Amino acid sequence: MTNPDLSIQLAPNNHKGLLLTNPVMAASGTFGYGTEYADVIDIQKLGAIVSKGITLQPRQGNPQPRLVETPSGLLNSIGLENIGAEALIKEKAPLWNQWQVPVIVNIAGESVEEYAEIARMLNGVEGISAIEVNISCPNVASGGAEFGIDPQMAATVTSAVKQATNLPTIVKLTPNVTDIVQIAQAVVEAGIDSLTIANTFKGMAIDTVKRQPVLGNTVGGLSGPAIKPLVLHLVYRVAQAVEVPIIGCGGIASANDALEFLMAGASAVQVGTATFVDPQVMIQIVDGIGRFMHQQEIANLNQLIGTAILR
Amino acid sequence: MKQILAPIVSNSEIIPDVHLIRIEAPQVAAEARPGQFITACCGDDVLLRRPLSIHRIEEGQLALLFAVVGQGTAWLANRKQGESLDILGPLGNGFKVQQNTHNILLVAGGIGIAPLVCLAEKAVDDGISVKLILGTATATQHYSEVDGVEIIRVTEDGSLGEKGMVTDLLPSIAGWADQLFACGPISMYRTMAAMGTEIEGKSVQILLEQVMGCGVGACRGCAIPTHQGMKMVCQNGPVFDLREIMWEQITAPKIGQF
Ligand SMILES: Cc1cc2nc3c(=O)[nH]c(=O)nc-3n(C[C@H](O)[C@H](O)[C@H](O)COP(=O)(O)OP(=O)(O)OC[C@H]3O[C@@H](n4cnc5c(N)ncnc54)[C@H](O)[C@@H]3O)c2cc1C
Ligand SMILES: Cc1cc2nc3c(=O)[nH]c(=O)nc-3n(C[C@H](O)[C@H](O)[C@H](O)COP(=O)(O)O)c2cc1C
Repeated sequence: MTNPDLSIQLAPNNHKGLLLTNPVMAASGTFGYGTEYADVIDIQKLGAIVSKGITLQPRQGNPQPRLVETPSGLLNSIGLENIGAEALIKEKAPLWNQWQVPVIVNIAGESVEEYAEIARMLNGVEGISAIEVNISCPNVASGGAEFGIDPQMAATVTSAVKQATNLPTIVKLTPNVTDIVQIAQAVVEAGIDSLTIANTFKGMAIDTVKRQPVLGNTVGGLSGPAIKPLVLHLVYRVAQAVEVPIIGCGGIASANDALEFLMAGASAVQVGTATFVDPQVMIQIVDGIGRFMHQQEIANLNQLIGTAILR
Repeated sequence: MKQILAPIVSNSEIIPDVHLIRIEAPQVAAEARPGQFITACCGDDVLLRRPLSIHRIEEGQLALLFAVVGQGTAWLANRKQGESLDILGPLGNGFKVQQNTHNILLVAGGIGIAPLVCLAEKAVDDGISVKLILGTATATQHYSEVDGVEIIRVTEDGSLGEKGMVTDLLPSIAGWADQLFACGPISMYRTMAAMGTEIEGKSVQILLEQVMGCGVGACRGCAIPTHQGMKMVCQNGPVFDLREIMWEQITAPKIGQF
């Protein structure tokens, strides 16, 4: 068999499209602005890199401690510490423009207008391949997840961003809702190109000696292997309800995990916490998917997507 | 920065509950400086890599000195010669000895000795005079000797050297030094930060610990408040100027477990 084709189109309805050479990308907030790990992994081999969530103004983020390790999981309350949209455009985009690997910019706003404003600023900037709209950050007081828990609000943000940019646009949903399918359908109707499922689950840890929450921000978002089965189920449900490509994200730490998400209906995956554990993991996942396809004589990634959905 | 599988040369408990592990890591050792650290994968039962200071750099090998405090370090303590360790490093900024420095005073609280030995050995090599105040709870926890370094020993129970804390002795010796370097618990740093004239005008560099996600500045997890805004322990640190940190806003990393 010839080499299997791992490429995937994540924005089929956008005129620019978002074609990845493979379906494995670095999740927002876990890979900085793309350069931090460049000494130890060949970032050009990734399907894409999603940069740290950016806001209109730079943010200092939440007080420390910002991280707690839990069984098979990680709670974070970074609070969107970032350099701001202007610095990203000036300092990071020119660098990305020289890369082969597409960079997707994750954005967060405190109002609908702010989301649109950032999207407008990013529009036409060389080096930026797509926008991922974060309506799911559990760690900020205003904005973030509050736009992701109400279908109407989610749709409003989506439309505003779509109108402000020609770039392919992904919306990243929060799992902290009663029915994620409703939210997904609302943003798809509003014209989104693809969906990332999902951001972190709200959680906390308590220091029993001090009798107080460990995190400086009290609550944080849970990521890592602990959430994988939960997110897999969300992908499985949403994949049956919408037509746009889904990017699965939550606890993926091996090629087998990634394949589970693809078979549940995801067209691509994002890897976050697992990179902290082993910076090589994303490359291993790309290789592993290729090996699996080769073994199973699957020529094209599309032949895997959604194959575990019982119809 | 490199990620390598480093063969373990030796691993032994040199102080109760404190292990010295030697690994073959020429690529990392070649780049490493005192005050920098590596992160090590500590088995399948813990998630995050554990940050550990570079304790000694010797001919392609690295020595790490660590206290067994939880699951990750317990796993590390059980590793045998012949096995390998997945390490990432060197990471962080490291200590900075100024050009015109002749005398340096090192202040170690307990396991805080770990990175200071590396600094001491390098300084001695460079012809700098080194004194070390080492404090532990009791005599059995004391580190043996460092070639060419005068060690002033302190114990909380008085079983070795002076009875008390390193910070009790610090004011009387600080005057001798051009630069001070400290590693120990946050309480020690707080006491030092509150010192006035005793260490006034002296450059004091301290090594700060926080729980880390990535270790390379990608996740912004190990942020600490400084007078110049939030800084990352992994990237801007772990070595900071004592007076740069907003001590009243800092929480020690250890999660209390009864
Ligand atoms: C830059 C740096 C250098 C260090 N150098 C040394 C050294 O040379 N020798 C040594 O004995 N220890 C050192 N430490 C502390 C060491 O990293 C912790 O003791 C270790 O991570 C504990 O892991 P555990 O699984 O045994 O403990 P657990 O308490 O089970 O760990 C739970 C979680 O908290 C984190 N954690 C716990 N204590 C600390 C701490 N003090 N600092 C940062 N994270 C912590 C762990 O990494 C883990 O994510 C250093 C820490 C930092 C940040
Ligand atoms: C330290 C940290 C920072 C994060 N920052 C962001 C962010 O800025 N924007 C965002 O949309 N998601 C952010 N996330 C969520 C991740 O992108 C991802 O959705 C989540 O961690 C689940 O994937 P994982 O289990 O593979 O880590 C962050 C996660 C972590 C652990």
